[in-house]
Amino acid sequence: MPERCAIVGSGLAALAAYATLRHGGVEPAEIAVFGTDADPTTEWRARAAAIRQQRMRSESDGHLAAPSFPGLAVRAAIRRRDPRPLFATVANRYNPTVADFLAHADEVRGRSGWDASFRTRRVARVEAVDGGFAIDGDGPFAHVLVAPGHPGLAFPQQLAGDPRVVHAYEHHEYAGTVAVVGAGMAAATEWRNALAAGAEVVSIRRREPLRRPLNVPRPLFTKRGLASFHASSDIERAGLLRELSAPSYPASREWDAPLEAAAKEGRFRIEASVNGAEQVICATGFRRGFAADPLLDGLVRRHDLRVHEHWIVLAPDSTVPQLTDDTRTLSLAGVAGQWAFPAADTIAGAKYASRAFLRRVCRTR
Amino acid sequence: MSYTLTGRLQSRFAAVAPGLALALALHRWWAIELVALMLAVGVVLDVAVYDRALPYQPGWAALPLGALELALVYPAARALGVAAPLAPALLLYAAAWVGGQVFSHAVFPRLELSYAEDGGELRRFGPPTTVAVVAILVAGLGAAYAVRPPTVHLHGVVQGPLVIRHAQTVVGGMVRGGIVIRADHVTLRDVSVMGGENGIDIENAAHVMLDGVRVVGSQLDGIHVRHSDVMVKDCTVSSPEGPWVQGVDISFSADRAMSMVEGCTISGVREGIVTHFSQVDVRDNHISGTALRGITIGEMSMGSVSDNVVAGALGVGIFCVDHSECEIEGNTVAGTRRDLGGDPTRAGVAIEAHYYAHATLGENSVVASPGGIRAYDHSTVAHRRR
Repeated sequence: MPERCAIVGSGLAALAAYATLRHGGVEPAEIAVFGTDADPTTEWRARAAAIRQQRMRSESDGHLAAPSFPGLAVRAAIRRRDPRPLFATVANRYNPTVADFLAHADEVRGRSGWDASFRTRRVARVEAVDGGFAIDGDGPFAHVLVAPGHPGLAFPQQLAGDPRVVHAYEHHEYAGTVAVVGAGMAAATEWRNALAAGAEVVSIRRREPLRRPLNVPRPLFTKRGLASFHASSDIERAGLLRELSAPSYPASREWDAPLEAAAKEGRFRIEASVNGAEQVICATGFRRGFAADPLLDGLVRRHDLRVHEHWIVLAPDSTVPQLTDDTRTLSLAGVAGQWAFPAADTIAGAKYASRAFLRRVCRTR
Repeated sequence: MSYTLTGRLQSRFAAVAPGLALALALHRWWAIELVALMLAVGVVLDVAVYDRALPYQPGWAALPLGALELALVYPAARALGVAAPLAPALLLYAAAWVGGQVFSHAVFPRLELSYAEDGGELRRFGPPTTVAVVAILVAGLGAAYAVRPPTVHLHGVVQGPLVIRHAQTVVGGMVRGGIVIRADHVTLRDVSVMGGENGIDIENAAHVMLDGVRVVGSQLDGIHVRHSDVMVKDCTVSSPEGPWVQGVDISFSADRAMSMVEGCTISGVREGIVTHFSQVDVRDNHISGTALRGITIGEMSMGSVSDNVVAGALGVGIFCVDHSECEIEGNTVAGTRRDLGGDPTRAGVAIEAHYYAHATLGENSVVASPGGIRAYDHSTVAHRRR
């Protein structure tokens, strides 16, 4: 059976895409997965461990299996014989544990046949050729989904070379006085971690974080909100994406109570600069834009793809319009797919691109 | 979920499938009419209210929205004359609601992977499912309309006895000399009956409904039922013509579907409600001033007697007799009077089991009834908590 499909990348978005293709009836022999690590959770697991993340920000349907039902709440309720996860999820108050999420990801990996399609390779070049796309000279593959992940950790320029600096997503312990740069989910997690470790914490932020349960407002996860997003001009869309990239974390006592208690004790305060802290933790996320990723940058330059600021311009179904037609598909999943789906760097985003990809694969079968 | 309007409508039509299947299985027109009404109310709310008011609808909202829709469906059903008995109708509504939730949260997301992100749209399944549901409902309602019994509106006073030998609905008016029903699917609504040997005489008939009838001045029974199944709702029986009149007598109908007497007010008769060899549910009635017994479940009848008020009965309030099986709960029996003659079985007994009868009692209120609760002649009375 010829390989018709290729997935470039071996992270969570890649596994979501693979599971979706398998659910749609595409055989492992028809799919090639190119990545650096056979375990698709390796990178994410390391980052979650670095910030001591216990619970997911995503909810019950934030898992990697193709159909959203049964979600992680249903699975937890059945496994523990406890209906409370079900009550929590109907009130949008169920956030699965990281352990549950990872265990389920392992299960999806095993059940989908991922390992049968996986090839260890760091892909340097994806190129449109007759009959589809060549991947580092292999192929052609008629349908390719590129999910390269984040292009690297972001550090504030003014802290370059400062020996006190560590990124939140790198392994670290906590000093006596800790400055945490940033105000998003990772920063909020690090405030709590450092306080729990007995440190005095200084939050360094340029603006107040937004308080919302998910990365973007809920309507933007569905067609209802996406319709106007897709109908907007390039300038409007870029403006909205910039706005949505503002730091945020959920509003709840669980997050606020430790900070309030520490502030009363004089162990938590907000400042504009790092001053004399023993340790500086940069919870500043990832480098942004296609140009920071050599694979995507090469793709754009080679095929003169349309871009806007640091985004590759995509069709609403996450495909690259110039390189997609009735016979072939090039899709971008993960953070690179933000032009089509604002929350592209979430599991919901990965599935959005994957499902659209499956529809094209099945249509041209 | 953030539904699109198309998604709401497609989900609404497809999610009605379990309720519709149940309605078809019930083989009752009212069930199909009720499902159509539920769908209609839902669609109106989807278009006029939900789409604008709920850009995002959390899972828990299904419960209050379901209650709101029930609160609209019920009066609409009453206003449109859907002849749905309350308890089965509520069960159908509840089953349809649960079925709809299961479809929305479990079946649709498996059927169509992008169900949630498409705002409830079912892609290739949506249009055919919608068309199929509409076609079934239109066919069902059309058939119900085509075979519906004619409705006759009575005006003023009609000299009876009025004999009904074909399915029909009779509404309003007053009939002197009684009404005789000898056909299935007959409904009397808001009809007054004056005089007659029996006020309303029903024999060998199925699916008879008496809704809001008033019976006065009958000579034997106010409502006399033999080998039939009836639903008697919100009736009034009073001012009997003589000492032997019974309010409602349902007898020899054990091989028929269960009958029901609900919400009736009966006063001044010999026995308020009496059954022989029948299955009857007697509930929420108010019976007063009876000369023999308030309610009698007799001669191998099976039935429940619940939430009734029996006041001022002479001798016995509620009587379960002769191998009958009775569930008696939630009733108020007050002021039962001793009969003259010293018979202990009629010594102002509020609830009595007699002659191999078995009564299971829930929480009843017995007030000023000197005989209390008694079992005689190989009968048993068992108590259980509600």
